[in-house]
Amino acid sequence: MQRKTHATWVIALSLFIGFLLAIVPFPDWAMNYRPEWIPMVLIYWAMALPYRIGIGWAFVVGLLLDILEGSILGVNALALVIIAYITLSLHQRLRMFSTVQQAGLVFALVGLNLMVCHWLLIITDQTVPSNLMFLMAALTSALIWPSLFQLLRHSRRSFDVR
Amino acid sequence: MALEYRALAFILLAVCIMFADNRFDYLDKVRYGLGFATTPVYWVADIPTRVSFWIDDVFVSRTDLLEENAQLREELLLAQRELQLMESLARENSRLLQLQEASAVINGEVLPAEIINVSPDPFSKRVLVNKGAREGVFVGQPLLDANGLMGQVDEVLPFTSWVLLITDSHHVTPVEVNRNGERALARGSRTTAAELELEFVTQTQDMKAGDLLVSSGMGQVYPKNYPVAEIISVFADPGQSFSTVRARPLAQLDSTRHVMLVFEDKDSEAQSAVEEAISLSAEDMPPATAPQAEAADSNSVPQVEDQ
Repeated sequence: MQRKTHATWVIALSLFIGFLLAIVPFPDWAMNYRPEWIPMVLIYWAMALPYRIGIGWAFVVGLLLDILEGSILGVNALALVIIAYITLSLHQRLRMFSTVQQAGLVFALVGLNLMVCHWLLIITDQTVPSNLMFLMAALTSALIWPSLFQLLRHSRRSFDVR
Repeated sequence: MALEYRALAFILLAVCIMFADNRFDYLDKVRYGLGFATTPVYWVADIPTRVSFWIDDVFVSRTDLLEENAQLREELLLAQRELQLMESLARENSRLLQLQEASAVINGEVLPAEIINVSPDPFSKRVLVNKGAREGVFVGQPLLDANGLMGQVDEVLPFTSWVLLITDSHHVTPVEVNRNGERALARGSRTTAAELELEFVTQTQDMKAGDLLVSSGMGQVYPKNYPVAEIISVFADPGQSFSTVRARPLAQLDSTRHVMLVFEDKDSEAQSAVEEAISLSAEDMPPATAPQAEAADSNSVPQVEDQ
């Protein structure tokens, strides 16, 4: 089944804003509580348009995020590919979930993303093992998910992204 | 089924890329290219700061400007007076050094830059400055602010570059105590605090709280005699072989925006002759100490070929 693509710029713009929010500096105490915007935006698009936004997108977006964050290439790419894979294989169930259930799954996925990135950075000697406070970002992400979901769904419907 | 294979293929690709990027430098070109794609993001992220600076500039009263102007004039006068003194001292110093056939103090050119972003990882202390390969920035280039040494360039992108700060736990700065010339290695703190820890300081070494640490010029990354940090505490536990010395960097690592990149000016003949002699004698000897600032060895001679 061949579908015509439409309004790719909405997806690109949402990712661009996600990149912006990912690198905007915060005060030191708030660094651990920053929501992980890019994984959340990717989860949404993979869930809504699984035939368009797949593992390839996740990989490229991950590479760009690696450059933006200045970490070695491939760290975020690998983590986002894993997330995209899980989202794609669950997307039909995910659409039936209530908002709270979705937020729970987002919590797990973002937490997985953070863990994978942290491990990879430790393996490649880019950072030092620390306490688990960095996982707080998964909590804030889950709290923000319902509003982000509404916003992205609204823009998807009003711009007719297919 | 196809989804699993695709995921697996991309994961393997990511692992290969990570390995290649970590171990070899094949991917520097790729990073450089992707740097073009990500520049607009930094540019947009920096807009709020620029707007607030612009508003500060535009909405400022005439009396404020006059006052500031008078104050700056006064400061300039004082600074010029000190500079005159400094110049005669510097000349005298270089005469004395010439008598001893030592290399002269490096007078570098500086390139003003601005910090436009900081690393999102709280455990890696890196900042992004708005000058890149276009302006001739090179890996290993020292970065200063008005008060002291900040760090060295770690990665050069087309219009921006990442700077590793001296407080990063992967960074070691060769320093000496200004008062008596005692040498030490200052490693960035392993905690999130913006502090330095002096490594391998024996309990008999003469260091005390309040001492100024300046760069010693060893490791050939940083020029000599730039102020680096001030010792805040020295703790000598008789049961340990080394004392615990903590120091606070003088540069305003987390509040300043205006910084300088230093281009070393190495054209004086006497100096290059001395350097040649040093490099000749260095060939006979093994490298002096093992832990030096990382990525220093390959970049000891600044290369500005990229432009």
